[in-house]
Amino acid sequence: MDRITILCFLASYTVALGLELLYQLRPLVWSRWLALLFGAAGLTAQTIFLAVQRPPLIWQFGWMMILAWVLAIFYLIGSLHHRRLSWGLFVLPLVLALVGLGAAFGLPPESERSADKLLSFPSAWKTVHEGLLLLASIGLCVGFLASSMYLVQAHRLRAKTLPGQGLRLWSLERIEAMNRRAIVLAFPLLTAGILVGMVLMWHDGLSGWTDPRVLATGVLWLAFAAVVYLRYGYHLRGRPVALLTIATFVLLVGCLVLAHPVGQGGGR
Amino acid sequence: MNLLAIGCSYKTTPVEVRERLNFKDEQLPRAHTELSAGFDCEAVILSTCNRVELYVGCTADAQSPSRATGSLDAECISEFLADFHHLPVSAVRPHLYIHRQEEAVRHLFRVAASLDSMIVGEGQIAGQVKKAYEYAVRDDSVGPLLHALFRRARQVARRVRTETGISHGHVSVSSAAVDYVKQVFDHFGDKTILVIGAGKMGELTLKHLRQLKPRRIWVTNRSPEKAESVARGCGGEAMPWEKLDDLLARADIVLSTTGAPEPIVTRKRYEPIAARRAGGPLVVLDIAVPRDFDPSIHDGDRTCLFNIDDLKRIREATLEDRLKHIEPAESIVQQETKAFLKDWSRRRNGPVIARLTQDFDSKRREVLRELLGRLNGKLSDEDRRHIEGAFRLLTNRLLHGPISALTEETHGGGGYALLDALRKLFRLQE
Repeated sequence: MDRITILCFLASYTVALGLELLYQLRPLVWSRWLALLFGAAGLTAQTIFLAVQRPPLIWQFGWMMILAWVLAIFYLIGSLHHRRLSWGLFVLPLVLALVGLGAAFGLPPESERSADKLLSFPSAWKTVHEGLLLLASIGLCVGFLASSMYLVQAHRLRAKTLPGQGLRLWSLERIEAMNRRAIVLAFPLLTAGILVGMVLMWHDGLSGWTDPRVLATGVLWLAFAAVVYLRYGYHLRGRPVALLTIATFVLLVGCLVLAHPVGQGGGR
Repeated sequence: MNLLAIGCSYKTTPVEVRERLNFKDEQLPRAHTELSAGFDCEAVILSTCNRVELYVGCTADAQSPSRATGSLDAECISEFLADFHHLPVSAVRPHLYIHRQEEAVRHLFRVAASLDSMIVGEGQIAGQVKKAYEYAVRDDSVGPLLHALFRRARQVARRVRTETGISHGHVSVSSAAVDYVKQVFDHFGDKTILVIGAGKMGELTLKHLRQLKPRRIWVTNRSPEKAESVARGCGGEAMPWEKLDDLLARADIVLSTTGAPEPIVTRKRYEPIAARRAGGPLVVLDIAVPRDFDPSIHDGDRTCLFNIDDLKRIREATLEDRLKHIEPAESIVQQETKAFLKDWSRRRNGPVIARLTQDFDSKRREVLRELLGRLNGKLSDEDRRHIEGAFRLLTNRLLHGPISALTEETHGGGGYALLDALRKLFRLQE
């Protein structure tokens, strides 16, 4: 079990993506099923890897890996449920990017994996804080996927591509609804996660204000709040909302990557 | 089996001739009766806007075994067709094609599977074949051969439709509009359709859009009477022409089909309307020629405008795609033709073989009874069994030759000569 490395599931997901691309070029049923098989193999390998390594969420490595794991589940469920859609072509690149980023950060040092030097508050609250932020990140990932699909579908419609030709996607209305739900769920989760984090920080004597992650999360919240305001207060819809959601997602990734050093788990 | 398919279609005959050869529903009972009684055969008449075909067939039976061996005269059937419509034979005969036996079976299967249609894969013809058969059944002109043939034709049509993609996609411009609308909207129960104008094409397109079960339909027209009339026809609500801008701001799908010489909605007029729209995107199906909407309002996001040329592209792509499925469909027709002929030959030869076997068996038992009676008391049980077995073997070996020859004749597409000979040689009809 402990011989499973990141390369195992990275390779599986890459093959699955290749097969999805092949299916796009030549819609042979076997290539779709084979892609699902590789996707499932990758997910199994990643599940075992996460179970053995138990990377803490407080490290970027763990964060990226868990996000990629959840999205890999989404890939399998979505592909099984909507077999004719080009769902994999959107999800798998994101899964691969997250796994790749996680791999770039690397596993945190053994001594740090179970230690908790940042906060001394009861661990249940820390779990709630991390869980809420993780769920908000998943929501943002889904929003990013929906927005990407929206832009592609809108482009197809703009170019008047024949229905049934090229990528198979949901209708604009459905994709927009998916994006809306993702935003509606992610923003309160992010807000709640930040609030819990503030309580934890206050309990620790406000010592963590200067932590780059704290500052980055604050910036992210402000950007997200702007998107929510424009969507619901200003009734902005369609392409601009999709672009803003993508920008927020990029900001999330940017906050996670730029605020922390690469190597040794990405720091805490 | 003696089967003949004679007729004409859009491929061989101009519409002026086809429409004169067409059988109206009310003419069918007389035509079926005259055909079946006049030629002592079974008959089904398939008459559509694209084809007029007469399927006639005879089968052998115990009473008149030679019926099926005589050939149906195609010339006489042609004369019947011409006479029925009061046309000279010389004007009709050059347009007719004739298919006999296996070719006739294959032709009907191809017709029912829509492989011979003007638009390959269209679903209407299967229903028309079914209706033609039902009319013939009603007129009592169908016998065992055409019963079996037309039932099989329906199965073939269903098989081709389900096992190949030949009927996929939309081929009419009006139905293709639905494909584009479905790219934008997911559900229609909360959508409003606005119909502008009252063209024939618009009615057809609206018919397809109504199948999506929209929340409401508004109809507007420069003439309030026309708007009322269209609204009544589609279960919609007539709206005043003056409120067009307001309606455009509130509708989800617009179907425009006016006869206006200039665009009725220019970009300048549409911009404030778009700004007022609070809901989702607007899909405009502009099937008017000249176009009613300025094409520059199309952005693929908040406003999706599709005109008649865009809809025609779907139709062309569908037709091109269907061509890929012709080969597998033809292969199904071929398989089914062979299977039908095999089944039919089994059905044809079955009674003769059964009677032959029964005849031999009864004679065997008779001779055996006499022999065993003479040898009564001189044979052990084992000897009796041996003798009985030997007689059975002899009978089987004697029967093997004629039965095999009969089967070979049928599979080889032969006529009824051997079947008739067997009947005479073994006096089976007596």
